[in-house]
Amino acid sequence: MGPTLRALRALVLLAGFQLLSLVLLAVLLAADWAAVVWAPASITLKVWIVSAVLAIPVVRGMFMLRTPKDEGQPGVRLSESGEPRLWALVRGLADASGTRGPDEIVLTGDVNAAVSERARLLGLLPGPRRLYLGLPLLTGLSEAQLKAVIAHEYGHFTGGDTRLAALVVRGRVQITRTIAHFHEKADSKVAKERARQEKSAAKRLAKGKSAKEINTAGAGVTYRMMAAVYTAYGKLALRATLSTARAQEYAADVTAARIAGRDATAAALRDIPALSAAHEFYLESYATLGLPARTLPPRGEFFGGFARMLTARELELAGMRTDLPTEPSSPYDSHPPMAERVRRIEAFSDDARAHEDKGSALALLTDPGTSATALEQAVLTDEVLAFAHAADWQDLLDKAMAARLAGLDTPLHRALALYTKAPATLWSLLQVIDDGQVWQLAKRLPLSDEAASATGRAFREFVRPLLMKSLETMVLAELSARGLLRWEFSWAEAATVHLPGSDVDGGTGADGAGTDAAHRFTAAVAAALADHPDTAPLRALTPPAPHETDTLR
Amino acid sequence: MTVLLWILAVLAVPTLIFALWMAGVFLKEFFKSGDGGSEAAEKLGLLPAERQNTDLAAPLPAGWEAALSAARGGDWKPAAALLEYIGRDWERRSYATSLLGDIAAEEDAWLLAWEAARPDDPDAALIRARSTVDLAWNLRGAALAKHTTREQAEGFHRALARSREEIARAAALNPYDPTPFITEIWVALGLGYPHSEMDKLWAEITARAPYHYEAHYSALQYWCAKWRGSKELATAFAERAAATAPLGSLLTAFPLIAHFEHDESSDSTADRTPEMVARVDAGLADAATADPAHPRLPELRHLLAYYLALQDRDEAAIEQFKLVDGYVDALPWTYQGDGPDVAAYYCRIRNASAEAAAAQAQPS
Repeated sequence: MGPTLRALRALVLLAGFQLLSLVLLAVLLAADWAAVVWAPASITLKVWIVSAVLAIPVVRGMFMLRTPKDEGQPGVRLSESGEPRLWALVRGLADASGTRGPDEIVLTGDVNAAVSERARLLGLLPGPRRLYLGLPLLTGLSEAQLKAVIAHEYGHFTGGDTRLAALVVRGRVQITRTIAHFHEKADSKVAKERARQEKSAAKRLAKGKSAKEINTAGAGVTYRMMAAVYTAYGKLALRATLSTARAQEYAADVTAARIAGRDATAAALRDIPALSAAHEFYLESYATLGLPARTLPPRGEFFGGFARMLTARELELAGMRTDLPTEPSSPYDSHPPMAERVRRIEAFSDDARAHEDKGSALALLTDPGTSATALEQAVLTDEVLAFAHAADWQDLLDKAMAARLAGLDTPLHRALALYTKAPATLWSLLQVIDDGQVWQLAKRLPLSDEAASATGRAFREFVRPLLMKSLETMVLAELSARGLLRWEFSWAEAATVHLPGSDVDGGTGADGAGTDAAHRFTAAVAAALADHPDTAPLRALTPPAPHETDTLR
Repeated sequence: MTVLLWILAVLAVPTLIFALWMAGVFLKEFFKSGDGGSEAAEKLGLLPAERQNTDLAAPLPAGWEAALSAARGGDWKPAAALLEYIGRDWERRSYATSLLGDIAAEEDAWLLAWEAARPDDPDAALIRARSTVDLAWNLRGAALAKHTTREQAEGFHRALARSREEIARAAALNPYDPTPFITEIWVALGLGYPHSEMDKLWAEITARAPYHYEAHYSALQYWCAKWRGSKELATAFAERAAATAPLGSLLTAFPLIAHFEHDESSDSTADRTPEMVARVDAGLADAATADPAHPRLPELRHLLAYYLALQDRDEAAIEQFKLVDGYVDALPWTYQGDGPDVAAYYCRIRNASAEAAAAQAQPS
């Protein structure tokens, strides 16, 4: 089967997706007609009733099948007058790849570039185009790499080996979106629950701005039945068109390499997975660090800080670029495994364009700082935008850690509260240790089967690491509440804590005094949990609060 | 209809009688074979499975039990006195250490009291080191590595890492004693010392006790394919030990153990080769010359009894069985599972030998 025939078969399958409801209805009608002709009257009536009941979900399904509107991702529209250089570049690339340029450019908050089209007539006719560009992507790529990414996206519309393939890709996008839409509605309950749990996750918050009205019409059993039928057919169609779609991806890569150069294209493909992972990490560890403390990074830094982290962690990123995924992300993913795509590009002959446009793609924007600030306003939810901005990143870290330690609720806290029937404080824990009851307390912790069935020394050995960790955080919380802790912010590594006593000779953290204090701290915690426990060193490290002095001494 | 029933009944009676007769013959045969062995064993004064001790390979030397139960009860002084009395008898010292270490790995309050009373006692330091190694293996459990949970593996490594300091301390407090180094072999096994480190450790041991049974036993485990070596390395190690040791040192046990550890066949062909017969003969000569009070002699006898039985040398096998009967916590039986399984396996092999020996004794 040639590529054209394959594409044609794919088109028939895609069209079938739209025709499925009609076919189902036709089958029901045929059954009714057959009953009229051949069956006795009593049975005819029953067949009619049954087919009517069955037709309801089918008809409902047809209405739900209507193409979900492209709501668009939240972002900032970049006008041509505001960003002349970016627009010129985008237009130039469109011309070079022989397709029409976008009608809109939208700056988004993720590591992604996409051209979307509000296709008409069930995805068969083209419509207005919109180019989405993620600010983090611009931050991480060079100008040449960005060209390669955009040229790849255009490549999908220029058709590579056959015009039909472009239609196939468009149809696949439509099906994928429709299936996603079905699931979204059918799973709305689950999604709501998840949204509640992930309240602090940055992505949810960013998405929150475009939160759709949840349509409860999609919750019923009949709806789910229809969703199952369409999903099954859609998956079949996606699977059958996979080879065409993957060939399309390779063709788009070739377009990108032709327009932006071989090396820039390969480098962009290598960079994107690494950038995605880095950005995920950045959101988790830096940008959203202060959300539990209701604090945002300094204005404009929610997206602006990513560049700093990338610079500081250049070495780590270099390692991630070399390990490429060799498996596709899902069986229906139109993208072939990244390792294979890079291999094919790098097999091209050298086009001597390795040194073109090495500058950061961010420089294409007229004022990256202003854009980052505007993007913050556009993608964060109103709830988050109401949070205060920290003065700087160090301030953000201090506030975040103080809040985290103040709100600590570990299994040890819960076990201690249960055991003593009193609020779980460091002092009540030290009292339990002094009374020799810490191992009885340990039995109330959530334990593995092996630990729970162990006795004597083996039991103590099993639970000691957990106890040490919990006790350490409890002591840190206590020190933090007294303002005795200092945190050191770093773009290159995890934040480090400075214990009291580590700053005796002037305050540089990496000297002997710092490690000394850390050793004293670890030793004091270990002594408190030894077989012959001694809480004195720990009490010496954490002077009791004034109101506690009387009860303890 | 009635006629048909009558004909069927007439035909059924002889069939029924035949079936009953067959069942009777079968049952008689079945019980005879089962009973014959245990009867023969009983006639020889050997004990049934339920009366076999599955915690020890032989009775404890006089006075040891009191020291062990005192330690279990929290009193360290009898244990300290026992080790003092044993002195430089390294075979007994390592044996007593393993027994006391086991107890301290369960609960070490008595050992903490001992250490508090005599801070630099080399014996207490030795038990401390040994007990931490035992604790590590308790934490790990006996399952294969892939069935060991992460928590277990972490506890195992943590305790083994800690034990290295304690072993070094025990060795420093008693420089002539090979026992701390013998203990360290189990650390080498768990942490996977490289062969070069193991050879250095082995040099420390042989400089202090060249023909030590437990040292060889532990090192052979290290060299086995299932731990850090291979069948070839284990066999070479065992053969070299047996060849160079003076008669009576019991090291002839190790070629048998090396064979046993790597034998995956399901019949006894591999156990009846001329080479294996020669190994068993060497073991018999070794056992005959050894000090009858050697604490490890029963372990060699258990192995000899097993292989003599497999080689159909049943009278010789029974001779060994008689000498060790009553205590079955020894190779090869212990690889069959826990307590009752071990005793059952021991009795099965022993009874088969007893029956065969009885049949030979009274020619029909």
